[in-house]
Amino acid sequence: MIALAPSRTADTALLPRAVTTLAEPQGPDTTVRLDWRAMTTDEPQHAPDDLVDETEEQLDAVEDEDLAGLDADAGPEPVDAKTVSEHELRRLFEDQALPFMDQLYGAAMRMTRNPADASDLVQETFVKAFAAFRQFRQGTNLKAWLYRILTNTFINTYRKNQRNPYQGTIDELEDWQLGGAESVTQSISARSAEADAIDHLPSSAVKDALQAIPEDFRMAVYFADVEGFSYQEIADIMKTPVGTVMSRLHRGRRLLRGLLAEHARETGIVPDAASTATMRGRGRGAGTRAATTAGTRTTRKDAR
Amino acid sequence: MSGCDCSKAKAELEEFLHDELRHEDAADIREHMDGCEDCLTEHRVGVVLMETVKRACRETAPEQLRDEVLARLRAVQSTH
Repeated sequence: MIALAPSRTADTALLPRAVTTLAEPQGPDTTVRLDWRAMTTDEPQHAPDDLVDETEEQLDAVEDEDLAGLDADAGPEPVDAKTVSEHELRRLFEDQALPFMDQLYGAAMRMTRNPADASDLVQETFVKAFAAFRQFRQGTNLKAWLYRILTNTFINTYRKNQRNPYQGTIDELEDWQLGGAESVTQSISARSAEADAIDHLPSSAVKDALQAIPEDFRMAVYFADVEGFSYQEIADIMKTPVGTVMSRLHRGRRLLRGLLAEHARETGIVPDAASTATMRGRGRGAGTRAATTAGTRTTRKDAR
Repeated sequence: MSGCDCSKAKAELEEFLHDELRHEDAADIREHMDGCEDCLTEHRVGVVLMETVKRACRETAPEQLRDEVLARLRAVQSTH
């Protein structure tokens, strides 16, 4: 059983984390669902009205839940977005929300897989966020709020049109059905070489591998590894229990690692285990050496 | 002695990497990895994977998108 910290406690002195109330250890199988109003610094915000309107039944229920008891504890607001003029509100929004455009676009690219749809998705996200911005409580987690709107908009607009046979069942698949890396069976030197190889893969290969893994896994990896969201924040964005976030993240990263290691072997970036013994412990920069020894690589059955 | 062995460390490496462990559990893992090349290597693969994904996913929104968003926001407001 893994004891989860109160989502990166203050003593880690990193980013200000969202959750400080999750004091009890939580196992990976816990189904405790903490939504936005359970978060100390990330109070739930009104979802944009049209977002709620167009939401599917299942999501409707969730949104309604979120809309209940929203103004329970309105904290101090440096700027009162509820009373500022329309013009000031827009300026505030442009100052605060638009700087997240590149990041949101990056996530939208991973969701929609093409620039045109990603642009549309980001645009819709900002329009919806602006429409609801008066209800956004200043000082709370704007980035996570925007990502949640992005994710909802994606699900409502794009995923609705897709018939993904795995949707809803992917989380239940067993590990052996998913495949992925079997890292524990590899030697230290082989894994060290694997790290060097992954480090030197071109971005296109990494993005291709990301696209190849199930969407829910992909986005969990994206939210955690690219955006640095905590498990709890991801749970709120993806509307899923923390245990599911962990499972998606672990499995997504394992699949990704397997695909990247495979790609590195196919393109000759990884030498065979024997010739990497001397590379042990070396960090970045060993890739060119690895490439020169690639000719001696043999077929390995690891990482699959 | 930290009471942290390889199986415990390996089971928690993902949470360690994502900074989700309690302070004392993270310290145990760190201490264990000081003397365990196996777990340290495993952790390194995890770190590299994370950094590689982060680097590969860096995007810049098209300038046109920025203009379109600004125009939409102004249009939305003028209808209110």
